[in-house]
Formats: sequence, structure tokens, C-alpha cells
Amino acid sequence: MTVFSTCHKVIGKQYIALSLFSVFIGIFLSLVMRYHLVHPDTKVKLFQLLWPDGAPGGQMTPELYLSLMTMHGTIMVFFVLTTTPQSGFGNYFLPLQIGAPDMAFPVLNMLSFWTTALSLLTLLAAFFVEGGAPLSGWTAYPPLSGLGKITGPGQGLGQDLWILSIALFCVASLMAAINFIVTIIELRAPGMGYFDMPLTCWGWFVTALISLFAFAVLLPGGVLLLLDRLAGTSFFIPGGLIVNDQVQTRSGGSPLLFQHLFWFFGHPEVYIAILPGMGLISTVLSVFSGKRVFGYKAMAIAMLAIGGLGFVVWGHHMFISGMSPYSSIAFSVLTLAVGVPSAVKTFNWLATLWGGRLRFTAAMHYALGFVSLFITGGITGLVLGQPGLDVYFHDTYFVVAHFHLIMGVAAVFAIFAGLHYWFPIMYGRFLNEQLGKLHFFLTFAGVYALFVPLHFAGFVGNPRRYPDFKEYEFLKSVMPLHIGVTHAAYFLAAVQLLFLFNYLWSKRRGALAPANPWGAATREWRND
Amino acid sequence: MTNVARSAQVLLIAASSMLFAAFTSAMVVRRGIGGDWAAPPLPAWVLPTILFAPLASWLLHQRRVKPAMAAGAALVAAQIALLAHFRMAVIGEAFCAVLIAVHALHAAAGVLALGRFGASAAIFWHFVGLLWIYVLFLFGVWA
Repeated sequence: MTVFSTCHKVIGKQYIALSLFSVFIGIFLSLVMRYHLVHPDTKVKLFQLLWPDGAPGGQMTPELYLSLMTMHGTIMVFFVLTTTPQSGFGNYFLPLQIGAPDMAFPVLNMLSFWTTALSLLTLLAAFFVEGGAPLSGWTAYPPLSGLGKITGPGQGLGQDLWILSIALFCVASLMAAINFIVTIIELRAPGMGYFDMPLTCWGWFVTALISLFAFAVLLPGGVLLLLDRLAGTSFFIPGGLIVNDQVQTRSGGSPLLFQHLFWFFGHPEVYIAILPGMGLISTVLSVFSGKRVFGYKAMAIAMLAIGGLGFVVWGHHMFISGMSPYSSIAFSVLTLAVGVPSAVKTFNWLATLWGGRLRFTAAMHYALGFVSLFITGGITGLVLGQPGLDVYFHDTYFVVAHFHLIMGVAAVFAIFAGLHYWFPIMYGRFLNEQLGKLHFFLTFAGVYALFVPLHFAGFVGNPRRYPDFKEYEFLKSVMPLHIGVTHAAYFLAAVQLLFLFNYLWSKRRGALAPANPWGAATREWRND
Repeated sequence: MTNVARSAQVLLIAASSMLFAAFTSAMVVRRGIGGDWAAPPLPAWVLPTILFAPLASWLLHQRRVKPAMAAGAALVAAQIALLAHFRMAVIGEAFCAVLIAVHALHAAAGVLALGRFGASAAIFWHFVGLLWIYVLFLFGVWA
């Protein structure tokens, strides 16, 4: 395996390794945040060691808390959820499933990966520059993100690196999207029509289409934001700002303009994370039910519908921005419409299971877990899609619980399902099934213990992104809930070590797998 | 030209169109709300550059790749020279500079593609030419 390989299998594994590295950094950052929320006054030597400026004497500053939150979100969204299901699994298995010799442009594929890796390094470098990592969240709203270091530590070079990292990621994703789409359009095996492709390929296809149009909009947003910071422009900086007692001279810009550009990308990004998982889960449920996927065409069309609708619902992230109520209604109706193709998929998954000869392998467990999480997280999406309710829930822990379940954990369960399912092809061995099932049950319990209570924190108006709740009388009653949630987070993180052990151990010592151990009908099992 | 090359160029054009659409929509919104918009002053010598791209396309049609690359390179050079005319603190001029710079990147990529793939990269180059006419219309007429 060469470092700069152009082989799609090697690149797929490289993407998965990059994500595995990233996810443990993301988990670590979340644990530090959870610890601080329930022990806001405790001094921790490790914090001082890691962030001497952000935690003087071991006492975490609010700015450090926000920078950890920013980096956690950015790493998880871009380098885990966007990367593994699409670029990791897609690179490895798309050519195999459609009978292509490789991706259409192998060199471009290699460049996409290394640009992604450079993007990750650029992002992590923000921890080590003066002021540290940025604190404006993964959404990087201006004016906080647009004015430079006057707005706080991390808003200097750290924020510049963040924007540069995202711009590089956009370029890498655009290259990858073109490669995926051309591969599917032009390199399918002779006689294989679009509706002959496995649903995994449909997931990667629709995701690549979304990436092509969504990242092409985030990139201009990033470029204009960087110019606001470095070239003295005023695309997003409004007039009359006074920051740290200094009057800002720029005027005329609109922070909402950036929000529109960001969320035009940001909402489709949710589907970039989840659609490959939907395709994969359809395949896993079908294989371990011993039946064809119920309503194959409807499933493929539902993916296209979800992808298409994803581009016209971005306004629901901005219900409280002062937009016209008529616009709110339009965005709300379109948002709720996403529920239709989502329900088609959910019922078709259930119909696929119905009457099947179910085999409860570890991959099947994760697939069922995905369906459960997709329903739980999806239902709260219907709540947040209504302006009247969103006005109350906006920026509370209800939103945190919702997007972690639907976008984060559901997609991660699809990744676990995919790794268990395809491990025999990737390494010629099985992931340990017993450990896999144990990991599933513990993770499943941990996920619900962590995120369901956060909905209740949202009910009482507990705002997110606050580093210390004890200053607020109305939040004192929520502290026991947060203590429980934090313990669930510790538990969940510890359980992931079980998976890491299983992955590393099984790669070398797992039981040898025969050619097609699951009895699947798709081409990748024949090719390898 | 292979189907793979044609498809890749069409997709690249789709992504680039989206990119310019995003910049344009940002400009339309910013112009409407800021109250500080002034049309960017374009020097008179910019008008002849509108011919560079069609010239390159015509040369490509004649299968004369190197002269087409030279016409493309001349366009890029003109765009770089043009950038010096704009002040980033003035919003209209800043948008003009950004769009010209982004177009220059596309044109440079187009020239490199012509050098690497020859006339197979013609579709993308024709798009770059149309895009330049669009950018000049945007700032010379509409803005």
C-alpha cells in the first residue's frame, strides 16, 4: 500500500483511517466540554497542559469552551460524517458494485484525499497558533468570525486557518463529487441501467450530486468571509459595531447574507452525511432479511427527492432571523415535505424486514439501530420545522439532541454497519461478531441515555453554547440532568474503545472470511 | 473526445455555474441592502478583452491549440492587470475584483487543461469564454 496510491481501495481505506483518527479527537473534545459543563470551577492540570492560554491554572475559560465546541463540530461534520460514508465506503465499493475497474479519474481521486488530509491538518493547526482555535462555531457566523482577533482569542489566525481548511475541504469535495458522478454515469458495467444499481450506489450518486452544488456555494461564502477578515472588505460586516470599546469603521454588510450562503450548503450537508447511510442500510437489511429491498424504485426516487428538497429548506435554520412570516411558512411546508420521502424509506425498510428470514448479525443490529435513530431524530425535525415551535427551541439543547441523533449518531451507526458488513472484503476477515453485538447494545443504550434527556433540557429553554449554567437561576434545576448526560457521554466514549479494539484486533487476528459470507447478491462479493 | 471527458467537463461547468451564481446572488443582495453601492469603474481597455475568449474558442475550432492557449493566457494577464484598478474597501469594486479573480483562476485552469488535454478540453474553454462575457456584462452594464 503506497502512500500516494491511486487505487480506489487504498484511497477508501485512507479516508476511513482519517475519519477514525478524527472521530477520536472529536470525542475527546466533547468529553472535555461535558466535564466542564458539570464541573465549571474545577481546575484540571490536563487542560492547562493542553491549552496553557485557554485554561490558565487549569481553569477553562469560556473562550476555550467555545473553541472546543467549534472544533468538535467542524471535525465531526466534515471529517467524519462527510468523509467515511461517502468517500471511504464509496471509493472502495462503488467501482466494485458497478463493475468498473477503478474510479473515472484515479489521480484526481488521490488528490481529493490528500487535499482532505491537508484540510484536516490546517484545521488542527488552529489549536497551535497564537490565540488558539476559533470560537465562532461550525457555522462561523459573522460578525464574530469576520472582524479578526479583536473579537477574542482564536478569532485571529485560528479563524483564518479554519476558513482556509473549509475552503480546501470544499475543493476536495468538488473533485470527489465530479469523480463519483462521472464514474456512475460512464463506467457502469455493460447492461447495468441506473435502476439496476444497488441502493448503496444510489446513495453515493445522490450525495455526489448534492456535494457538487452545495460545496460550490459554501466556497464563495468562505472566500468572502476571508476577504472581510484580511482585505478590509465589508460583505458581511454591518455598520455601527462597537467591539471591545472600539468602533468598527466598516459598514453596509449583512451577517444574514452569510447565513443564507452557509445554510444553502449547511442543510444539504445533513443529507450528504445521511444518504450514503440510507443506501447502505437498505442493502444490509435486504441481505440479512433474505429478501429484495421492498420498493426499490421508490427508495431510489425517495433519495433523489430528499436530495432535491434539501436545497429549498435552508431557511428553517433562520426562522428567528427576522425573515418574513410568509417565507417562514414556505420554508416550513417544504421542510415538512421532506418527511414524505423519509417516511417512504422508513416504511420500505420495515416492509423489507416483514416476512423475512432475519439473521441478527452485528451489521443487522446496527442497521436496525439506524432505523430507530432515524425515526427518533426525524420526528424532532418535524417539530423544529415549524416556525412557531422553532422560535422557542432555537439554540436550545433540543436542537443539539435533534441533530446529534439524526445527522450524527444515525450516520455513525451506518458506518458501523458498513464496517461489519464489508470488513470481510476489506481485510479478508470478520470483525468479531460477539464484540460487535456487545458494542452495539452498549452504544445504543448510551446514545439514548445521552441525547433523549437533552430534549428535556431544551423544553426548559436551556441554551446551548453556554459554558457555565450555574450563573442562571432557571437552569439550576437542569444540572442533575446534565450530570446524568455527562456520565452517559463518558460511558459512550469508553464503549467506543471496544470497537477500536475489535477493529484493530480483527484486522490481523479475526476469523478468516470465505468469499461471500453473508450470501449477498451485489457485485463486490463476486469481484473480490 | 471520450464520454468520460465530456461528462467531467459538464459537471465542472455545473459546479462553476453554481459558484458564480452564489457570488452573483451575494452581490445582488449586498447591493440592495447596504446603501453604499457604487458602480465599479472599468477601464476602457477592458472591452477588447471580451474578444480573447471567443478568439481562443475559434482557434480551438481550427484545432490550433497553442495559439488558443496564447489567447487564453493573454486574457489571464489582462485580468491580473485589471485587478490593480480596484479598491477592496469599496464594496462594488470588491465584488468586481473577486469575480474577476475567480474568473482568472478558471481561465488559467482552462489554459492548463488545453495544454494537458488539447482540444478535448474545448467545452470547458467555451464556458470560460461565456463566463467572461457574463462578468463584463454584470459589472459593465448591470452594476
